[in-house]
Amino acid sequence: MGLGAMALGSLMGCGSKTSSVIADQARDLSRPLLVRAPHFAPKAKQVIFLHMAGAPSQLELFDFKPELQKYDGQDCPDSFLEGKRFAFIEGVPKLLGPQTPFKQYGESGAWVSNLFPHFQDVVDDVAFLKAIHTDEFNHAPAQLFLHTGGPRHGRPSMGAWLTYGLGSENQNLPGYVVLVSGQSAPSAGKSVWGSGFLPSVYQGVQLRSQGDPVLYISDPPGISRDVRQNAISTLSALNQLEHAEMGDPEILSRISQYEMAFRMQMTVPEAMDINEEPQWVHEMYGTEPGQTSFANNCLLARRLVERGVRFIQLFHRGWDSHGSNEFEALEGGFLRRCQEVDQPMTALIKDLKNKGLLDETLVVWGGEFGRTPMRENRGGKVAPFNGRDHHSEAFTMWMAGGGTRPGITYGETDELGYYGVKDKIHVHDLQATILHQMGMNHEQLTYQFQGRPFRLTDVAGEVITNILT
Amino acid sequence: MNFRLTIASLVLVVFTSAFFLWPKKEVTFNADIRPIINNECIACHGGVKKSGGFSLLYRDEALSELESGRPGIIPGDAEGSPLIQRVLHTDPEERMPLDHPPLLKKDIEKLSRWIDDGAEWETHWAYIRPDATLSPPATRSSWVRNGIDAFVYKRLKKEGLSPAEEARKELLIRRVSLDLIGLPPTPEEVQNFVQDTSPDAYERVVDRLLASPHYGERWTAMWLDLARYGNSQGYQKDPYRNIWAYRDWVIDAFNADMPFDQFTIEQIAGDLLPEPSKEQLLATAFHRNTMSNDEGGTDDEEFRVAAVMDRVSTTFEIWQGTTMACVQCHTHPYDPYRHEEYYELFAFFNNTKDEDKGHEKPVLRAYRAVQKPVVEEQLKGFDELCSTDFTESYSSLEGAWDGLWDLMDRPLSPCVRDLDSEEAQKQKTALRKLAPPRTPILQDFPPDSSRVTRIFERGNWLVHGDTVLADVPAILPALPNDYPRNRLGLAQWLVHTENPLTARVIVNRFWEQIFGIGLVETLEDFGSQGEAPSHPALLDWLANQYQHEFQWSTKLLLKHIVMSATYRQQSAVSEALIERDPANRLLARGPRFRLSAEQIRDQALAVSGLLSTKMHGPSVMPPQPEGTWQVIRGVLKWETPQNEDRYRRAIYTFWRRSSPYPSMITFDAPSREFCVSRRIRTNTPLQALVGLNDIVYLEAAKGLAMRMQSEAGATLSEQLAHGFSLAMAYSPDEAQLENLTTFYTETLAHYRQNPEAVKELVSNPDLQTPEMAALINSANVLMNMDAFLNKS
Repeated sequence: MGLGAMALGSLMGCGSKTSSVIADQARDLSRPLLVRAPHFAPKAKQVIFLHMAGAPSQLELFDFKPELQKYDGQDCPDSFLEGKRFAFIEGVPKLLGPQTPFKQYGESGAWVSNLFPHFQDVVDDVAFLKAIHTDEFNHAPAQLFLHTGGPRHGRPSMGAWLTYGLGSENQNLPGYVVLVSGQSAPSAGKSVWGSGFLPSVYQGVQLRSQGDPVLYISDPPGISRDVRQNAISTLSALNQLEHAEMGDPEILSRISQYEMAFRMQMTVPEAMDINEEPQWVHEMYGTEPGQTSFANNCLLARRLVERGVRFIQLFHRGWDSHGSNEFEALEGGFLRRCQEVDQPMTALIKDLKNKGLLDETLVVWGGEFGRTPMRENRGGKVAPFNGRDHHSEAFTMWMAGGGTRPGITYGETDELGYYGVKDKIHVHDLQATILHQMGMNHEQLTYQFQGRPFRLTDVAGEVITNILT
Repeated sequence: MNFRLTIASLVLVVFTSAFFLWPKKEVTFNADIRPIINNECIACHGGVKKSGGFSLLYRDEALSELESGRPGIIPGDAEGSPLIQRVLHTDPEERMPLDHPPLLKKDIEKLSRWIDDGAEWETHWAYIRPDATLSPPATRSSWVRNGIDAFVYKRLKKEGLSPAEEARKELLIRRVSLDLIGLPPTPEEVQNFVQDTSPDAYERVVDRLLASPHYGERWTAMWLDLARYGNSQGYQKDPYRNIWAYRDWVIDAFNADMPFDQFTIEQIAGDLLPEPSKEQLLATAFHRNTMSNDEGGTDDEEFRVAAVMDRVSTTFEIWQGTTMACVQCHTHPYDPYRHEEYYELFAFFNNTKDEDKGHEKPVLRAYRAVQKPVVEEQLKGFDELCSTDFTESYSSLEGAWDGLWDLMDRPLSPCVRDLDSEEAQKQKTALRKLAPPRTPILQDFPPDSSRVTRIFERGNWLVHGDTVLADVPAILPALPNDYPRNRLGLAQWLVHTENPLTARVIVNRFWEQIFGIGLVETLEDFGSQGEAPSHPALLDWLANQYQHEFQWSTKLLLKHIVMSATYRQQSAVSEALIERDPANRLLARGPRFRLSAEQIRDQALAVSGLLSTKMHGPSVMPPQPEGTWQVIRGVLKWETPQNEDRYRRAIYTFWRRSSPYPSMITFDAPSREFCVSRRIRTNTPLQALVGLNDIVYLEAAKGLAMRMQSEAGATLSEQLAHGFSLAMAYSPDEAQLENLTTFYTETLAHYRQNPEAVKELVSNPDLQTPEMAALINSANVLMNMDAFLNKS
């Protein structure tokens, strides 16, 4: 294309910058996505975060509790209810045993239920974290807490922090990409990939499977690429004249901005086009081109990782299994969600591994909280279907690749799966660990706002070194 | 604690004797000491942590006995003060700051001298009232037009710089139009100004702009970020909030040049004024812009408290440039605000009746003037059916317009009540849809049933501490005895002459809108961690002028700013000056920066001839890409109108916090969940995509192309030049025109060979020519030029 190579250099040319001070806000915000050096050598270059929005039941997937089966149908002990706040449970609910059989798999002997028949194959690549806990028990605040470190709107999301801290490797694609599938968007809205008080340039860019993959990326009908290319060249020439007269270096940034946009118009659709993948890949993931599905998004995540996108956030919504209707039932919608994610997330791990990308890509899977060992009794009544309420005390997440120890299970819950009893991990610890794998010290990645330095992990968080290689 | 005194003292003696040989330079706390303390010490010895029992926030604390049994500072005795001994210590385990590089020699010298001089604390500059006797420095420069220039000129001389030439007239009128009304000048306005050689030509332009109704719209755009105005309630469901009438109140207040003290009092406490008018009640919707949460399992009290906290933070950020959020949980780490003082402020706001309920009560139900013609039109239908004149009979009633709604609730005329024909039912339904807005407002419980305010330990609303009464922080002037201890008293105190912050903070906000950077860069933080002012005396003098000379008239303030020679300078810059002063802090040139999200939209619509100048009313839904709007249980639909509401100014755009209008977010507009003082201007490819491809900008390009074709002569260069000057306010030079001509010619050739593409681009069959297609693309280029997107 030969467009403005010099100006492009001015925009991207600082990849060799080795300053260790990342938190300075004096950076040139006209060039906000320059690659910046991490605090220390990172284990992971990219993150794929698979968020199961709505919160899947750990008790039907990974946290096997035979004791809970014994107490199925009995009143929940008072000690679990005193002083607790639940979203819907009232009075004394009954315990609900696991609704599906479990087995141990792999050399590691990890427990997985029969709802994830594919995932059983990759347990030896995965680190299971069984005693995650959070501060929030409603969807929106808990999703915000998981992704932004605080329960209210207004804080930057993890991907925004990382893009702010590290810049973007690929200047022709957004550095932080969001892919959404399932019932609808996550409860907390776009704030879960927002930039909060950071400049808006650091927010996640939602790539969509229908309509324009990036907002406004398609040329309007009747305007061809040739005409557009000529328009961009003309704009560059006119802006050069403006620069000669006005001397403002911002004008050079404007030239690069338009040339980059033009290139992005090519690279985004190309990255989003899964048609070019071979048939066996489609079979492995269970993808169907043209659909909006978790499977398609998993394959897209791998394509984006290959292209240097730093943070890829998948949301798959519809896991809220209260038992109040068929969609929200452990014997209904929940089973379909399991089917939707099992094969593609397994394929993603295998595919990354085959391509040698798993070592440098941290994959994280989980909901915003877990589900109660008790059956939900909304309004004091027996629900028409089997379901569990929101549970913040203990739930399971897993990580794979990016310097995590494969084939381990870390953390334990009590015999009923209510509390974490060993190696508990708070959401802030999880966040500190993810930043750490990306070469960022969570206490140093800060931004001055409302008179004080803010960070993702608020005033808490410890890196969980035991799960790292 | 072992201080290893011998070695330390020895070092100190050698060291101090060395610098006593130098001439003694005065050390002042604010200039020399506070920066050292804030950068090196306060994180461990401040409002949050007091390691070893030592804090440097207040003098009495710093001089009191520590855990070691001795004070950290002994005034008059640097050598004997543990602070100096510890910063000089040779053992890294003992040396302060711990685990950090030692202090610079010169900083230790300063600290020693300051302690020897008595270790006096100074109040931070922003808490000291501006000197009332301050006047602009005398100067003989003919460049100086008013007081602003005298201050700026003095500084430029000191820096060895000179001011720039005045901007050319075309650019000046574009600049001042965009600044004062947010819209570009029309070609006639440009031409008149260029031809008008009378000495007051510019002043008359300024006066015309200040009198324009669009003035209020432009400044409302600034205020809405501060007021965190949105058309939704926030949080998960983010349902509709009926609060557009507040936005209209702000527009009207700016247009009427409501004095800023009144503007303040009515918004914070209009309901507590004696016999408040409907407008004064409406003004209090300002603090009902807080979010509310209706999600299952949420505790209303938790989110009521969150809203009250937001009111404290927002009030202090907007008027005092003070960040109070830290003080929720603990004493301010750097600034002299104690934990309990936060809750004393909280108490002012803790008595309102709103309780995070879905119904949003209390509300004000009242028609707005903007609705009158539509409602009257509907009423006419009944006139005929009942052979009476409803408009007439209702407008003769007391409070006619607010009473009008009663027509439907309790019909005065039995005729209307009894009408049951299909036609009448239809009309009744239509009229019902025109219900008066129910705007959330503030209302206090009576004093005898006030809420009790308790300190929340570490900011946790469930852990209560001592009871506190409403009061203002001790570092600021006391609340006068005759002021009520409620929101009204607080509002009056904010705009009291003695308040050192309000006028400075507000003047600085307006300055930033005009010059792109504040005299204090951190608009939101005038505390000791904020940036120091670039021109302290100018800031103080302007603050004095605003309060006293201008009597809080914002129009007079803005007029003074734009009439200055400083403002009128041209904005071209040499490489040397860019190097010397990249952010234009010294003001040796005029302002040049990218327009705001609102200005970019409004300007594009204006130059294309599409802009609707309709003011006020419910928010509108201009086109946005499909699939960006989240439909939650069908509560809110995005329905793009086909009438002029499609082309309204940006401030009328429906603003849903969880899904704000995407193209404006791309240009750095905030989501409006919280008060935002300063938009950080960014530069991303996504912005280019908006200007190139968003249907709004494509429609604008088509509009501009049609103007180029219909308003200019027949020749290509006339048409291109006309488009250029519509967009940029000045005519293109030869090189610019040549580039545009080449582009047009090549594009024309392309469309001649691709007639299908012409049809795809141009929907109107009468206009489907290759020439029109090429003109649209040319207009699109013009509207993406840097010169168009910037104020220059």
